[in-house]
Amino acid sequence: MIELHQIAAALYLAAGIGSLLGLLLPDPRISRGGAWGLGLAALVHAAAFATLHQLDPAPPLTDLAIVLSMSAWMAVLFVLALMWRLQIFGLAAAIGPVAFLAVFVAALQLQATGAPANPISGTWPHAHVLLAAAGFALLGTAGLAGAFFLLEHRRLKAKLRPMQRAALPSLEALDRVNEVAITVGFTLLSLGVMTGMAWQHSELGTLWSGGSHETWMVVAWSIYGGLVAVRFAGHQGARQSAASALAGFLFLMFAMIGVGLWT
Amino acid sequence: MRILLVGMNHESAPVEVRERFAVDDPAALLAKLIAYEEIDEAVVISTCNRVELCVTTHQPESAHHTLMRCFAGHEDSTYLHSGRAAAAHVLRVASSIDSMIVGEPQILGQMKDAYRSAVEHDACGPVLSRLFQRAFSTAKRVKNETGIARRPVSVARVAVDLARQIFERFEDKKALLVGAGEMIELALDALRRAGLEQVRIANRTVANADELAARFGATSHGLDELDALLAEVDVVLTSIAGEGPLIDAARVKRVLARRRRPLFFIDIGVPRNVDPEVDRLDNAYLYDVDDLEQVSQRNAEERRREAQRAEGIVAEEEQRFDGWLVALEAVPTIRHLRSSAEQVRVAELERTLARLGVEVSDGDREALEQMTKSIVNKLLHSPVAKLRAETDREEGIAMLEAARTLFGLDDPPPGEPER
Repeated sequence: MIELHQIAAALYLAAGIGSLLGLLLPDPRISRGGAWGLGLAALVHAAAFATLHQLDPAPPLTDLAIVLSMSAWMAVLFVLALMWRLQIFGLAAAIGPVAFLAVFVAALQLQATGAPANPISGTWPHAHVLLAAAGFALLGTAGLAGAFFLLEHRRLKAKLRPMQRAALPSLEALDRVNEVAITVGFTLLSLGVMTGMAWQHSELGTLWSGGSHETWMVVAWSIYGGLVAVRFAGHQGARQSAASALAGFLFLMFAMIGVGLWT
Repeated sequence: MRILLVGMNHESAPVEVRERFAVDDPAALLAKLIAYEEIDEAVVISTCNRVELCVTTHQPESAHHTLMRCFAGHEDSTYLHSGRAAAAHVLRVASSIDSMIVGEPQILGQMKDAYRSAVEHDACGPVLSRLFQRAFSTAKRVKNETGIARRPVSVARVAVDLARQIFERFEDKKALLVGAGEMIELALDALRRAGLEQVRIANRTVANADELAARFGATSHGLDELDALLAEVDVVLTSIAGEGPLIDAARVKRVLARRRRPLFFIDIGVPRNVDPEVDRLDNAYLYDVDDLEQVSQRNAEERRREAQRAEGIVAEEEQRFDGWLVALEAVPTIRHLRSSAEQVRVAELERTLARLGVEVSDGDREALEQMTKSIVNKLLHSPVAKLRAETDREEGIAMLEAARTLFGLDDPPPGEPER
């Protein structure tokens, strides 16, 4: 329940700090400890989701806090898989604090949430939220990989001493992560947009209502579509792709969260 | 018993002296050493940077002279370590703190070979076995708990380390080496060790490239093929004589326009072979010899800092080994104490039975034997346990001396005249 969300948030933060210490000291054993901490946090986080329905009232899946929390969880799972595959544990230093923020905000929101005025149920809303959250998570991971790429690129150009092995991925690995995450993430986001339209149609009888959330999300989707096209047409170098992934995700965050807060 | 170590290394003797004493046949030297009465155990360590003879002895002075004779004519270039200092030195050498390049990994393998050879030739007994096992575990601790070997210091390995920041794996990568000199050969060796298999060598004199390529299983090319080669490779290493840059930015820009993969240039030529402007291009990374030297120096500084931490681990492990040695030295004293007590017990029992003047049944005698043994064991339990448990050398030696004095273990047996 909410306590489990709070525990998961604390574990994410501890894993992130542990991993960061591992990078700074530098001690690969501490970095590995951070990665294990991240895994434990993801388990607790999963348990928190599993027990959400026991809350009275149970928060709807479409709640922004739940979406954020779910996106963070999916991103953590994806990064854990990458860390396992590439044996690079330093990634926990980046994803840990991000997941902490998302889950911490979600826990605060859950405490303040009252009974929803119009409880939402049905296949389309659930499919929309799950697909969009997964797409958001993967595109977030692509943005994170992009940020790391730019950081590492800058280090190499500035002739700074290389980072420890097993601290950060190589540029090649980051570019590959970027490519996979953006391909799968864009596909999921597209499906999220489509199921959102289907939900709209089932509720209001129209595919397009012209609301600010829909408009900005479609703009974000179009931008990502452009990025994917440019990337796979071979017109972009790795550094430009990294910068695009980061900028694209910042825009997506604005479209998904910022617009909602602003309007 | 004392451990002695006599040897010479890169700091005490120049290479022309060290090579004179390099041991080609350790078996013969080991056999010769343990044939001396004053030497109990021996291990011979011989590498390009050191020749060391490590022995245990009960006659330190005589053993020292024997060992020094092995370095006849160059005694001034040797060093002697004795007792705890010798043990600490072995641990330091195995941990690569005493190496010319601090943290280099080869010395541990060489010491394991030296130890194996001594064991195979029955030259290694319990003390040196224990010492070398302790040295190997110390080296493992130093490697795991400090960063002494974490960063490379040779220019070739620094270049490989940098390449790892760009490429995830080398197996599917291709390298172009421009030049055919010694530096190129060293770099080629480092790249091969890192897993890079596909190598092209380009040189002005193709015959020289042919020769190097044949030795390393690479392909050889002339400099006129440079554009085509640049388009297909991932790592470019240059060290070729000539005036002005051989690879200019415009050429690299043309190559990069046709590819997405990054291109990593390592320019170890002086004067430089790659135009510094290449580093401004987005997908190209250029390190020249000064950049590599800078990284190498910072890594060497870090190794020296880590060596300080390693010294702490060596001190801890040496203390443990010394504790074991003290306990080992307590064994004869304990044995002596027990046998003296047993002699007293038997004598006193016999005297008491004789004084009683009565026939004692076997059962009663057995009971009396058990009772006296039990008294002796209970009286000796505490001092023996304390002698065994003491691991600090100074206190251990003091305790052994006290035990010998208090129990009269150094006195001549009763009835035996003093000499």
